[in-house]
Amino acid sequence: MKNLSILVVDDDPVIRRLIQQRLEKANYPVEVAKDGTEASDLLNSKYYDVVLTDLMMPGGIGGIEVLEIAKALHSNTEVVLITAHSSVDTAVEAMKKGAADYLEKPVNFDELFLKLDKIANLKTILRNAQDLQQAMDTTENVASQTIQDLEMRVARLDELLDAVETSLTNTDEDEDVRIAKALALLAKR
Amino acid sequence: MIKITPSELNLIAQYIHEISGIYLDQSKSYLFETRLGAIAERLGCKSYQDFYNKAKRDLTRNIERQIIDAISTNETLFFRDKGPFELLQHKLLPEIIDRRTPKAPNLKTNIRIWSAAASTGQELYSIAIIIKELLRDLSRYAITLLGTDISDSAISQASYGKYNKFEIERGLDQRYLQRYFSLFGDSWKIKDEIRAMVNFRKLNLMAPFTSLGKFDIIFCRNVAIYFTLEDRKKLFNRIADSLADDGFLIIGSTESLSGVCPRFVPKRHLRAIFYQKNN
Ligand SMILES: C[S@@+](CC[C@H](N)C(=O)[O-])C[C@H]1O[C@@H](n2cnc3c(N)ncnc32)[C@H](O)[C@@H]1O
Repeated sequence: MKNLSILVVDDDPVIRRLIQQRLEKANYPVEVAKDGTEASDLLNSKYYDVVLTDLMMPGGIGGIEVLEIAKALHSNTEVVLITAHSSVDTAVEAMKKGAADYLEKPVNFDELFLKLDKIANLKTILRNAQDLQQAMDTTENVASQTIQDLEMRVARLDELLDAVETSLTNTDEDEDVRIAKALALLAKR
Repeated sequence: MIKITPSELNLIAQYIHEISGIYLDQSKSYLFETRLGAIAERLGCKSYQDFYNKAKRDLTRNIERQIIDAISTNETLFFRDKGPFELLQHKLLPEIIDRRTPKAPNLKTNIRIWSAAASTGQELYSIAIIIKELLRDLSRYAITLLGTDISDSAISQASYGKYNKFEIERGLDQRYLQRYFSLFGDSWKIKDEIRAMVNFRKLNLMAPFTSLGKFDIIFCRNVAIYFTLEDRKKLFNRIADSLADDGFLIIGSTESLSGVCPRFVPKRHLRAIFYQKNN
């Protein structure tokens, strides 16, 4: 099974069925919705990696609305629109609203699979980048604690060495006294 | 893609060090090729020797600017490491204000803060937000917030104050976002009240900066890590000159000054370290 879950939204039962079968044959986990309302319910109840939706659908919720709902719920969900040639302009507008891509009817499946591969690759790269950032943040936090501790320790030891030097070079006192004072300082370390 | 030869690598690395102080590890030749390749190709160079010659001869220093933009790491975020900003809010600012507030009631309190490698501005805007939150009414203060960086593109983004959602999501509290930013297309822009508190300008830390005057607080974070120990020593020595005698220095959370600058002593407060001069 491929690791890209897909929701197919199309009011035409024949096309819906066709897309579902082809995606399943290619090993994608697929679910379908017969219109925008059903898609909205499904999107509200679970996460999909990709929503493949017809642009023009009857009822209040069309492809653009499905896009908006999907993006609002999970900005990580990628939406691909299926459009008639005559509404390519609308699809381009949809890209500005965050659609990942669009396909013209009739759907060319080679093209669809190519687009899905591209989305899967991008998701992997994004995931790796996030993992790396996480790992770096953790390393940086630990390192910064260690460095702070060492920085304070070095400063303390510097101060101690200065005091020892002062005590040892204090010619006003006898050597024994100087050494004893220096040792007393060192003992406090 | 143009290939870089070992002697060209050496030449370019020295050139970059000369113009920016940045020391690049020559064992990472891919770094030179990936970061500089596009510029070299745009200029129609046949080799990196050719690229070097063109850059040296360019009196407009346009190529030099492009090289600096390409090799500098501008990675930064709002409230990076949190600790220094809590420190600023709860200790450094109150202490400075205490000491700088004049006896005469009609005189303003002077405070000067410098973000010495400001990158795209997040550090300085975080400082400005903390100040605004702490002081509310700024009319009794004369506050200088200066951000400098060697990279032109970083400075121009900082001046513009616009950040995309990835830059915003990293480190910025929802509360501050709502209060101090406005939605601008699919990005966010810092509001004028904060923008008006700060100034950005281009500055190479390898060049003299005494003309900037003295500062009460200096942030010099995550820039000296790109320099050699020798350059780091010189830099922090000059920073000590630019810091008021009772001023505070903050460096990056994984940086250290021991063995770098004996004029600074570290102090720990809460979970952060700051430095003061041992006058
Ligand atoms: C990693 S950013 C640090 C930003 C910020 N201080 C922080 O800690 O988040 C390093 C910045 O140092 C700048 N830089 C590198 N060399 C410099 C130089 N010689 N003079 C001034 N800025 C320099 C780079 O352009 C870059 O924007």
